[in-house]
Amino acid sequence: MSQELARIAATPPSADAARNTDNLYEVWGDTVDARHLVLAIIVSAIVSLGAYGLALLILGGLVESAQMAKAYAMLFGILGCLGGGAISAMLFKPKRDVVEHVADPAFREQVVGDLLKEYGSLGRLEDTSPEVVAELHELGLYELFRDAQAREEQARDNGPVEADADTRDALALSGGRS
Amino acid sequence: MEGLLYEILMALALGLFGAVLFSAIGLVSGTDETTTLAPLTMLVVLLGAPPAGILTFFLAGAVAKHMTHAVPTALLGIPGDTSATALIGDANHLRRLGVPHVALRKMISGGAVAAVIAVPLAVLFAVLLAPFGDVIKQFAPWVFLCAAFTIAYFSAGRWASVLALLPFVLVIVALQTLTAQYGVKLAVSYFLGIAVAPLITSLFSMLAPAERERMRRDQYRVFSLAPDMKGWRGYFPNPLRVINKRQTRMTAMAASVTSATFVFSPVAMTVIMGELIGARIKQAYERLTTVITARNGVTESTYIAEALIPLIAFGLPLSPVAAGPAAPLFNAPPRFTVDSVSGEVNNLHNLLNNWEFFGYGMMAVLVAILIAYPFTMNFAHQAASFVSRRISHEAVIATFIGLVLVVGIWEGGLLGLLVIVTIGLLGGLLGRFLGFNIGVQFMGYYTAVLSVPALIALLN
Repeated sequence: MSQELARIAATPPSADAARNTDNLYEVWGDTVDARHLVLAIIVSAIVSLGAYGLALLILGGLVESAQMAKAYAMLFGILGCLGGGAISAMLFKPKRDVVEHVADPAFREQVVGDLLKEYGSLGRLEDTSPEVVAELHELGLYELFRDAQAREEQARDNGPVEADADTRDALALSGGRS
Repeated sequence: MEGLLYEILMALALGLFGAVLFSAIGLVSGTDETTTLAPLTMLVVLLGAPPAGILTFFLAGAVAKHMTHAVPTALLGIPGDTSATALIGDANHLRRLGVPHVALRKMISGGAVAAVIAVPLAVLFAVLLAPFGDVIKQFAPWVFLCAAFTIAYFSAGRWASVLALLPFVLVIVALQTLTAQYGVKLAVSYFLGIAVAPLITSLFSMLAPAERERMRRDQYRVFSLAPDMKGWRGYFPNPLRVINKRQTRMTAMAASVTSATFVFSPVAMTVIMGELIGARIKQAYERLTTVITARNGVTESTYIAEALIPLIAFGLPLSPVAAGPAAPLFNAPPRFTVDSVSGEVNNLHNLLNNWEFFGYGMMAVLVAILIAYPFTMNFAHQAASFVSRRISHEAVIATFIGLVLVVGIWEGGLLGLLVIVTIGLLGGLLGRFLGFNIGVQFMGYYTAVLSVPALIALLN
């Protein structure tokens, strides 16, 4: 409730509160509204530096060692960061559409196709342990893999399949998000 | 006796605090380990926590974060943090098969198994390596130089990264000389600059018209959140029942191997171990689930081993994790220091013995498992839903900018802030265009502070 109020209060009445897609950018792995980003950074800067400065001012007189006063001030500064983040989270809603749905059976076939490409072969269910088979039955995936395996074997009997070179496609060594 | 009890209780309390805090942080994708673990551990050190408590806080935090990072990774298809990027391919396959809960359960169970294995093994390896400690300390500047070149060569940039070390180190030395003129000595600012480099580079890019056009989007990003499926009874499902015998064996093997290979980057080890294990399993579903189990196990074991082995054996930050997220365990002036000239160390290495490292290490891991494992098992869906619907990316970015401001100003005033921005922009651009990754950048920092003075002494 309080969140709704805060958001309405922060949005100028002239702006369409529903959805404005003019200023959307992908920054650091997700979508943001540039104007909201600037405001959020300003809010966070004021709150975090304010908390730090205030704590330094007050603790400087209370704590004997200047070094410890500074360390405690940093603690408050970091709490200020979290506070600033929390305020920004209340003011600015995520630019995400979250949809919840059960996986489509057609999707599943496609995944099996991707796995075949990536691994070169789906292998044989007969080679796995009873535990894995039981797990597949429980998840309702047994038939999917059994049928795909049968198709793969049939295709192999009919003629040589071209080997896929891009098995390592999905694996990138770098962990950067840039 | 009373002192020991106090020590143990403090360690337990700080471990619990770390586990709860980082369980929450792990849920928010984009929260890199170094940007979160390093400054908060630093704070715990500087506020005077007892040594055992510092260790449990860090380890419990790292272990808990690498469990809850499975939530965005498995349910939303976005990596929970840097080490989760290696898992996203497998997780997406399972999500699209309609069984994201399987990915999630396997990941955190693998993590729990690996974490428990990694602590004793890391301590054992450290004890085996300790006899070489004195030699290594004596030659520390040269060891760091070699380590920096090795890690650079194994980064995505290969020779470009090796050569880029030169200008990068030069810039750090130059910045240090500059700040020294004003009586400012910085350490955390460099780490934070390196850690938030991709963010700083993105923000700069947004101000450049051509780059900005490339970053423009015309609609909200769509995330498909996997539906909630609970396939077990009770609150604390047995991890060894969630993953089968073969998966346990493979995870244990991967954790053991990666507990020894402490000089390589965690992400690289996670990818390589997955490949090695995947090649031995023929059936696709079994392969997929076993690889994801083992890979998340490796994210735990590499972090534990890479922090503990150099700490116990040498007291010098000689691994990518020790140089980055775990850096405050080694170097948090004025309390913990590593002397550049003599190789003299004064940090947790001197303050805890092998048994204490083992005991408190196990305590941290168990506390983290007790907090993060049942939480993730039972509330993953609600947590992912809350984070994706309520916590905007603007807020996450703003929080990190706040952190940069506070830490920069705290350590060196305006100069500290400028150093963070300079290193961040340089590191970010080098990382993006050359594959000069974060691990290499950390080693570059150590080369600048440890090897360069020794080199200059040698040349004179």
